[in-house]
Amino acid sequence: MQKDQRLLDLAALLLKAAEPVSWREIQEQFPEDYAGTGEAAIRKFERDKADLLELGIPVRYAAGDEDLPAGYLIDKDEFYLPDLRLPPEDLALLYVAGSAALAQGTFPYARDLAHALNKLSFAASAPGASESAAQAARQLSADGEAPPAVVRWLEELSRAIAHKKSVDLVYRKAGAREATARKVDPYGLYQKAGAWYLAAWCHTKEKVLTFHVSRIVSLVVNPSAPRTPDFTPRKDFSLADLASRETWEFEQHAPQRCRVRIDAPVSNEVLASFGPRARVVEEEGGLVVEITATNADALMRHVLSLGDVAEILSPRALRDRSREVLASLLEKLA
Amino acid sequence: MSLPAPPDDGSSRKGRTRHGGSPSKRPARPQQRPAPAAAPGPAPLPAPRVDPRDRLRRILFLVPYAVKHPGIAVKELARRCGCTEKELVEDLDFLLNVGSPPFGPDDFLDVYVEGDRVHVALHQSFSRPPRFTESEAAALAAAAQALGGEGRERAVKALRDSVPRDRRQSFDELSGRIYAGAPPAPDSVLGRLQRAIAEHRAVRLAYHSASRDAETDRVVHPYTLAQRFGHWYLYGHDRQRERPLAFRVDRIRECQPLAERFEPPGDAELGRMRLFSETRGEPVQLRIAAGATAWAVARPGIRLVKRLEDGGAVVEVGAGQEWAARFALSLGGQAEVLSPAAARKHFAEQVRRTLDRYGA
Repeated sequence: MQKDQRLLDLAALLLKAAEPVSWREIQEQFPEDYAGTGEAAIRKFERDKADLLELGIPVRYAAGDEDLPAGYLIDKDEFYLPDLRLPPEDLALLYVAGSAALAQGTFPYARDLAHALNKLSFAASAPGASESAAQAARQLSADGEAPPAVVRWLEELSRAIAHKKSVDLVYRKAGAREATARKVDPYGLYQKAGAWYLAAWCHTKEKVLTFHVSRIVSLVVNPSAPRTPDFTPRKDFSLADLASRETWEFEQHAPQRCRVRIDAPVSNEVLASFGPRARVVEEEGGLVVEITATNADALMRHVLSLGDVAEILSPRALRDRSREVLASLLEKLA
Repeated sequence: MSLPAPPDDGSSRKGRTRHGGSPSKRPARPQQRPAPAAAPGPAPLPAPRVDPRDRLRRILFLVPYAVKHPGIAVKELARRCGCTEKELVEDLDFLLNVGSPPFGPDDFLDVYVEGDRVHVALHQSFSRPPRFTESEAAALAAAAQALGGEGRERAVKALRDSVPRDRRQSFDELSGRIYAGAPPAPDSVLGRLQRAIAEHRAVRLAYHSASRDAETDRVVHPYTLAQRFGHWYLYGHDRQRERPLAFRVDRIRECQPLAERFEPPGDAELGRMRLFSETRGEPVQLRIAAGATAWAVARPGIRLVKRLEDGGAVVEVGAGQEWAARFALSLGGQAEVLSPAAARKHFAEQVRRTLDRYGA
């Protein structure tokens, strides 16, 4: 019997059974599949059980007692998707956030996300307006064709992360002509300004590095022993910390205190763009933002992007460099 | 539930008739699912390797969905399942062979297609889909965390509780491995927007208009939230301007729900809507220096026009000259606006005014 058919038949058998089904009975019902008395048949059955659990179907062994025989069963309560019992605004959050993410065409675990959204229609007994809002979110968020390579790398990396499998990566750094090969342990995926990054432990550099997913040339997930993890992520690793790092917080040089002046009115958006670690001091007619930068060039670029409402006050060298950049641009434009 | 009898024109697929046999003895089942009806034309390409679990996941949704929506069109069901109609028909063929031991006639799923409509007679076992797998729940939780809102912790907890008990630890671990971004506004603002969307209620916004560089007071009928180019937008009907508009969520300082309710647009109307309905004029072209090209073309919203011999590139942006000027400046001297002439002039003025601040 084909595997997909066997799995579904097995689930149907256990769901329908009024009491636990013994191993012997299962063998009788699937004579071609679990034949024999040996270990091999049991191992095959255990693999099928693991596959069912991955599909969200937990098969449990119950030791018998006076009332019930020993055997395998699926607890109905543990199997069927329950109602989430969420208020309408929380359902709107799930529907809209999930649909917008899916519409972008590049989201880790995209296939799982699509399944999850489908299942929501069962888990939310009264979705109210959320379903149509989700449909609209999906349409409005769709952004042309997603780059097929990024879609593929995200899918493979998602799998490698979930199963903790090492990856052989060929990667082209920004500005580099040659791609380099390296072995990494994928820790997580994060999104910044619409682009996806891989955070991974690099075996060569022996530290956590980040990789822009669109600059991955090729990758191979370690195919051996797919259910056995290759690594355990370091305990001190936090994806959220890494992901919320500003570009001027990338380690390029020793920490430098920098001050930036912004004219009033300062919008939330501009203020938020300096990140949660910026210190803000009110000054006449505006704000001064104080930042510790370890990549001052990136801070300069950010301040320049704000246009003529902002300027770097200190350090002196960074202020001078901003002036040089603007002066040479103006010369080019003349 | 009474189901219409399948027609006799051969277009129906029905499990029971095909598998009718002695109720106590397992009927001989084909070792492979029946081949789909042969279609004229060239020989099909070898099928890509399919993970059998993918099909099962689809089926575990398909069956309860078809039971819940009797007579659903093949096309609609395929859309809901995220597969092609051909795949769906193959799935239905596959389902004919699915039953539970002892495989009597009543132990099979009763599936048939009549015309272009799908009927599944109730097989109690699959009347609801299974719980979320940890990766389904974690992906949805990551998306919800990135949008934010007062209910996000409640929602994540509810998702966690909907994963089989044995897999909740894996869910916790996996949730820490996807970070889809930080919420674009305080949870209170997003929570109110989400409630207003769910309840079809108008909102009053304190909104920073980038084009006017000033805070404006808007009354909006919020239709939905959408994400483009790394930003979240509220899409809704602006009462004063009498048309649907997109509002950057991170520019909303305050959101006040109003008593007024609105009639949401129908599906057809929604189908025509675009996030940015206004034409933004001619696209702006920029020249990017070699050192910044890889970074620039990887940004969302940037279209590569051509690569230059020196390793640089010409790119195009459709978001207007102001955005283009800021984008060029964000590349720290490694980009300039090329065309149209007005955009280039605007950029030069921006550069000159900024330079003045530094006391050129």
